[in-house]
Amino acid sequence: MTVVVSTPPTPGAEPDDYQRYRPKSKTDQWICWWSILIFYNLFGLIFVVLTRVMPPPSPHLSTGQIVHFFQVHSLTIKIGFGLLMVVIGFSSWANGLVVFHMKRMSVGSVWAYSYIAALAVGALPGCLFAALCFLTAVFRPDRNPHIMALLYDMGLLMFVGSLGCFATMYLVFALAILLDKNKIFPKWLAYVTIWQIVTEVMAAPVFIFKRGPFSWNGSISFWQGTVIFVIWEVCVVFVLYKAIREQPPRETDAGLLMRSASRIRARRGHEVTADS
Amino acid sequence: MSAQQVELEQPEVVGLPNSTNNITAQTISLWITPIIAAAFLIAFVAFPGFRPPMSPNMTAVQVAAFFGEHTTMIRVSMIIYDLLGVMLVPFFMLIVVQMKRMAAPSHVFAYSYLSAVATGATLFAVADLFWLVAAFRPGRSPDLVQLLNDMAWIVFTAPVGMFIAANICLALAIYLDPHPRPIFSRWIGHFNLAVAALVVPAACAAVIRTGPLAWNGFVSFWLRIGTFGIYLIVMFFALRSAITRQALEERAAS
Repeated sequence: MTVVVSTPPTPGAEPDDYQRYRPKSKTDQWICWWSILIFYNLFGLIFVVLTRVMPPPSPHLSTGQIVHFFQVHSLTIKIGFGLLMVVIGFSSWANGLVVFHMKRMSVGSVWAYSYIAALAVGALPGCLFAALCFLTAVFRPDRNPHIMALLYDMGLLMFVGSLGCFATMYLVFALAILLDKNKIFPKWLAYVTIWQIVTEVMAAPVFIFKRGPFSWNGSISFWQGTVIFVIWEVCVVFVLYKAIREQPPRETDAGLLMRSASRIRARRGHEVTADS
Repeated sequence: MSAQQVELEQPEVVGLPNSTNNITAQTISLWITPIIAAAFLIAFVAFPGFRPPMSPNMTAVQVAAFFGEHTTMIRVSMIIYDLLGVMLVPFFMLIVVQMKRMAAPSHVFAYSYLSAVATGATLFAVADLFWLVAAFRPGRSPDLVQLLNDMAWIVFTAPVGMFIAANICLALAIYLDPHPRPIFSRWIGHFNLAVAALVVPAACAAVIRTGPLAWNGFVSFWLRIGTFGIYLIVMFFALRSAITRQALEERAAS
């Protein structure tokens, strides 16, 4: 239902003059797409190899064992999470790309904005706070052991247990894909995404259990969720690749802008064409 | 897509007059920034922990004594930050609005910028809350006051990633804008990349306790905060000229 301007905008003093120069390339989208690949590989390196947060160490360690954990992994925690402080921002580029494509859907912007808002919230408790707690713990190895244990619990519970920000993001993402008529993303991605909501629900018991499949390193709360997350992330990267490729170059002018251009012209009594 | 010509009979119904408001909103957002920045400066000077920046090597007892001694000024300055810190958000949203006007290929970087600013502002809000909690009961166990002070300093100094990602995507958006009279000139792009590079070393403040990279060191404290201050000033003038031009163009068009 896009409204297309019939005459090319007159050059010079024209509010939407800038859009006339909008290139047909998709360079910025491809930069964002590549940043997802690079960022998630770095993310894996940081969380799995360096800081040992994935898979998480056990919730039923004694205070002494927790202090020992921080002593043993101090250097790699410093390197890994120090690096994360610099690269975490690139997660926002992934958000930008997904939101751009969600806004192309027939369902409007409400879920696109919900997606970006939920993830802007989630970045802190769901990712950065674990890093900040661990960094604070290894910052002073001579800290009171009970405070070390507090930082350990706080970091890992926030990391594994930040449920709502991501569940909200998955919910709006799945709904948008299911109801979208523009076929921006394939419907099967919505069903994969719904499994992500299930994994968030399955992670809720981490606040209760210290042992077994529902603890924060358990087979269901952690392993199932992580396996499905990796599958989901690979699917999203693949689907975004297809979405960028299949996007018609004309459309890069962004329907919204075209509409606002036509509004201004309409106000001035120009002719517009509408195709419905 | 077969386009069909339609003569609009009531053009005023089609579009809501939002452009003029747009300029007003942008101008207000722009001009509250110097006021916020002045308050920032006052709070900065008023915070005893910044004159000079507290050493990461203070013992727990020393930190607790510091909070006990300077309780009032810590509270006053951090309440100012708590109240006004996030009020810089409209300024950064001006950048988002102007990014969306650019002739860059798409809006992806504008949304990325918005997302990064939202998380970055949250980090700032959290840092001053830690200082306020520490100053709430300075008589608490010194270990706990030190913990809160550590978390405040680390959150305040180290997570530079959001600012870096925002600046880089703004720079890329500027480079990808082929307009002969672009909204932000090329050197603003170079400037943003330089700013991003200058704040990178501050991430080390979460790890290193002595020297220029420590949270009270020249690079992590003075260089980072100085760079941020200059960034606000430069982007203030860049935005002012962009908004002025937008206003002139819209007036000429109507």
